[in-house]
Amino acid sequence: MTAQVFFLAAFGLAAVWFGIVVFRTHSMVRSALALLFSQTAIGAMFLVMQAEFLGVLQIMMMATEMSIMAIFMVMFMMDPGGLGEMDMKHQRKLSLAAGVIAFLAAIGVSVFADWGPAATVVPSADEQLRMLGIELLGRSMLIFESAGLTILTAMIAATAVAVQMPAKKEDAS
Amino acid sequence: MSTLILVLFLLLGTYFVAVIEEWSVTGRLRPAGPVRAALRLLGTESVLARKPDRLFFEVAPVLLLVAAILSLAIIPLAPGLIVTDLATGALFFNAALAYVLVALIMGGWGPDGAYAMIGGWRFLGQLIGYAMLVVMPITAVAMRSESLSTVVIVQSQEQLWNILYQPLGFVLFALAGMAMAFVPPFDLPTGAGDLAGGVEAEYTGVRRLVFRLGRMVLILSVASAMTVFYLGGWLGPVLPGWAWSAIKILVVTALMLAAGRALPRVREASFLAWCWKLGIPLALVNIFLVGVLVLVVPL
Repeated sequence: MTAQVFFLAAFGLAAVWFGIVVFRTHSMVRSALALLFSQTAIGAMFLVMQAEFLGVLQIMMMATEMSIMAIFMVMFMMDPGGLGEMDMKHQRKLSLAAGVIAFLAAIGVSVFADWGPAATVVPSADEQLRMLGIELLGRSMLIFESAGLTILTAMIAATAVAVQMPAKKEDAS
Repeated sequence: MSTLILVLFLLLGTYFVAVIEEWSVTGRLRPAGPVRAALRLLGTESVLARKPDRLFFEVAPVLLLVAAILSLAIIPLAPGLIVTDLATGALFFNAALAYVLVALIMGGWGPDGAYAMIGGWRFLGQLIGYAMLVVMPITAVAMRSESLSTVVIVQSQEQLWNILYQPLGFVLFALAGMAMAFVPPFDLPTGAGDLAGGVEAEYTGVRRLVFRLGRMVLILSVASAMTVFYLGGWLGPVLPGWAWSAIKILVVTALMLAAGRALPRVREASFLAWCWKLGIPLALVNIFLVGVLVLVVPL
């Protein structure tokens, strides 16, 4: 139990530290990959909490997602290498306030929400997989399907905007 | 004892993959080839590019090697001869190899060289093509075994190997696996005749040695995955399980590298087009067919 708490705290601190690194560096790629390792640390926290599937999924998905984000950051920023020492922090007061409020809200939810009794026995990893599958095809199906459809719509819309149509032929007249 | 065998598998496997790789390029089997190449690289000066992202440059080859070794952790060589039999083994394989992409992007960005950077980002484009074609055939494999554990996946092929049960999935997975290990004809990020070696271009000496080593382990890992998911892993008559695993993995490696050499290198855009316009619909058909088969012919 104590080892579990220790590793949970260690990975949690790692996640927070990499989150800070995101804003300390000037390089877009470093920033994106720092965010990746922050998310990977959260995946490791899932593993420590014996949620094997969630952990592995988090670690897998974030690697590709953050890499794709990195190339977009490189494409859109004027100084992707950070050689010009561009400042990563903007609208300091607003973001500070937003950050503090979000932090307090998260703490508030975690303290005051009724989480029900804590699980005493952790189901085995196979059992968790089965339960997750049934959950996805039952109560949560509508949520997941509508989220999936929304993402698909966004993908099609983004592609439609990005595709360069061949120029229309001029009329012969 | 089993730890020793697994370490030996990693070392010997990597060595044989290196020998086969040299054979696929030069047409000659030289048992001392990998040793000679390693010594040559160790003796070469390890040049550091000007204004590099030093952290990424140093970490990339090591991350490639670590990701490839981690992905081998869920490969069973025989019953009980596995590093860790995770309940999410087939997914873990993908999770570990997703960091190959991170390693190549780091290695491409790190040295501050145009060729390397293009090579690294090219692999990201390649991933957009192959990623789905790795995961979707594995879904069909898991549908048959009703488990993501690689041991159960091998056991589910007792009656009939998956290569015969779902040949379409095998073809897709084999091609996607080759793209994942960036072997020819999908060697866009490191192609020797293209981009002056891409990501590898700026790596010399010991750093290049680690990079090449990681690449060999990666090829070994992809060949092992093909064996486990589609060729019945350790299953086979007479010989012990580990021998069958070893034989199948080496044959798959040889076929993969030899076939790749005979094909022309695929262009980035056409690779993406083929993957999304043909590959993904076929992978969906494969999932549907296997779904019907699982219900109708429970083998």
